[in-house]
Amino acid sequence: MSQINYQKLSVLVADDFSSFRNTVNGMLLNLGVMHVDMASNGDETIALCEGKSYDVILCDYDLGHGRSGQHVLEELRYKQLINANSLFLMVSAEASRNIVMSAYDCEPNDYLMKPITGRMLEQRINRLLTQRKVFSEVNDALKKEDFDSAMTQLVDMSVATNRYTVMAQKMLGELFLSLGEVNKAEKLYTKALEVRQLDWARLGLARVKQLQGELDTAGQWLDKIVQDNPLYLPAYDVLADNWEKRGDGEQLQSAVEKAVTVSPMSILRQKRLAKVADDNQDVRSALAAMRKTIKLGRLSCHGSSDDAFMFARMAARAVESNVDVPHTVAGEAMEYLHDSQKQNEMSSEQRIQCNLLQGRVHACTGRRDKAQQILNDSFDLSDRGKIQFDTDLDRVGLMLGLNDKEQANELLEKLQRQYSGDQQALQKLDVYLDEPASDANQEVVASINREGIDLYADERYDEALTCFERARKQFPKHAGIHLNIAQALLGKVKAGDYADDLERECSSVFEIVASLVDKKHPQYSRYMRLRRKAVGLKIHIHS
Amino acid sequence: MSDSEDKIDFAMVLASSVHDMKNSVGMLLASLEAVIEEMPPTNARQANLFNTLHYESSRINGELIQLLTIYRMNSDFLPVSIDEHYVVDVLEEQVARNSSLMETGNIELELRCDEDLAWYYDLDLVGSVVHNVLVNCVRYTKSRLILSADIEDEFLHIRIQDNGPGYPDTMLRSPTDLVDKADVNDGDTHLGLYFAECIAKMHKQNEHKGYIKLENGGELGGGVFSLFIP
Repeated sequence: MSQINYQKLSVLVADDFSSFRNTVNGMLLNLGVMHVDMASNGDETIALCEGKSYDVILCDYDLGHGRSGQHVLEELRYKQLINANSLFLMVSAEASRNIVMSAYDCEPNDYLMKPITGRMLEQRINRLLTQRKVFSEVNDALKKEDFDSAMTQLVDMSVATNRYTVMAQKMLGELFLSLGEVNKAEKLYTKALEVRQLDWARLGLARVKQLQGELDTAGQWLDKIVQDNPLYLPAYDVLADNWEKRGDGEQLQSAVEKAVTVSPMSILRQKRLAKVADDNQDVRSALAAMRKTIKLGRLSCHGSSDDAFMFARMAARAVESNVDVPHTVAGEAMEYLHDSQKQNEMSSEQRIQCNLLQGRVHACTGRRDKAQQILNDSFDLSDRGKIQFDTDLDRVGLMLGLNDKEQANELLEKLQRQYSGDQQALQKLDVYLDEPASDANQEVVASINREGIDLYADERYDEALTCFERARKQFPKHAGIHLNIAQALLGKVKAGDYADDLERECSSVFEIVASLVDKKHPQYSRYMRLRRKAVGLKIHIHS
Repeated sequence: MSDSEDKIDFAMVLASSVHDMKNSVGMLLASLEAVIEEMPPTNARQANLFNTLHYESSRINGELIQLLTIYRMNSDFLPVSIDEHYVVDVLEEQVARNSSLMETGNIELELRCDEDLAWYYDLDLVGSVVHNVLVNCVRYTKSRLILSADIEDEFLHIRIQDNGPGYPDTMLRSPTDLVDKADVNDGDTHLGLYFAECIAKMHKQNEHKGYIKLENGGELGGGVFSLFIP
């Protein structure tokens, strides 16, 4: 083993037991380490790292009350307080890497299992520092984004046969994938798999297939990987990405749910689950995942006020649209909003959002006067020119919560003009508009309509209806889609398929359209034409 | 409250108290090693006492780890991460972990392993098997241990030999059947061997599965424990 200059090393020992800190300090002194700092909890550890960079951090996983060693590591990486050349060793009383499944996202350089002895510590630090030296040029190149140099070095290292080969291969695979060198990555993983069916190489190859657009193949391989090793967390994430790319929201949700089951402490996965479930209109799952996100966020650097806001939006929407959720959910949302006001430092923008959301929750729990007051006050608070889009959306939400459609539509029109070039913003607006404003959603509607109209032309009315229903679920205020449904229903009647519920359905569709279009609406004449047709078919329509 | 909420999941309660106990024993061991270093024994009686303290707490520690691991195994929550590692790393670490125990017990431990020998296994799980066997050998060996590793017919063969009285006949015949019939009064439940075999079996490659073997004789004429990993 190469010589390590212990005298020059700076080491931080973090543990909630002073006897352990002193024992380790003694061991380090024996090795010749001159600079040892000590911390007894997570906050102290982070504070020390903010002031100084350490070569080695020995951090216990269990730091008593408050944040764990994993939280500390996540925050140090998140705030870039440690770099690729410093070593973070997670110390624990338990069989090391099994302790936290979420550690997969943010892995320490190594694990040490208690009890630790002086010789163990020396061996491990020696080995890791030597490894750090071997990879230091690669890490420097990566830091400078000199990827060619990093690649050249890693290629050499990954074909050599020594104790750094595997690590070099793994790093090189990641580098290839991130640079889009898909074919090179494929070669590397395939070669690694010739020797053994190792999980990391199998996953790498599945990612290659995914990047090559072979989503079916990638999916099959990923299924096989999680079947063989159900606790291999990274595979679930790639599997979820795969379903997302295939546009299957339900399978996506199920993959993220599995990942969350394996790793319930992972805040980022809970957050993803909340979003995915929300997109699938699975309100209960979305609320449950968001609730966990908020709980985990209290100790994690990935928690923020926005989580409470998200919960409030979901809860208010659920109550407003009479989704079957426990009636306590509004009160819970209010509590989270209060907590985040107390606990987090908020930007002025976030403060306005928080107020607006409190108003919206008031509105949906029957306290209209309070809600109205908040809406009125919010105009005084803000300087219109700098208002963020999301804040304005919350304002729309509050207006609609107060049933003030006129004011809401006015603001929506204004936003549509203001953000006419911002597709992402337009997509968010689409939920509130009768016709989508964003290119992507316009295309969604257009393609579903094309498909439905073809089916209609072939007189396959039931299939056409299924198709239009799918579009209606996504864009419930789209008059054209409703009229397509009406037209298909009339087609069914005309073909002799007459039934009472058909009449009821038809009538209710016309009722909705009547609330959406007025005489100036481009779909108005079509609406009137179809109505006349219905009357001609002797269908009774409430007017 | 419903019935299911009234009842405690005993296995879970046990697992979490085992976890606590393990923390305490870890502290106990660390303090003990510090005491031995600061105040080395001055006569044979003291050395003997230290040795007993040290051995017994190491044994408790090892047993608790085993219990936790078996709990996880049974509840399908034991991640196995098989990757290529240098064999000397895992062996050296266990030697270092137990060096103080060997010193207080006056046991000479010889490590034989090619520096370049690499194999595919779960580092933690194989490490804890080696650890448990070493601690157990301290109890039965007279004065010497040999820890060695090499490749035999596409299996990694890790062997621990001692110069004690060897394993009893019952164990040689069917080492892991004894777990069920364990006589708690004789002080050894053979849980360690059951644990070792479970870990061995978790390592699979093609049609091969890991296993353990007990023999008597070997180079030192005592017990020989073998772990085979495909």
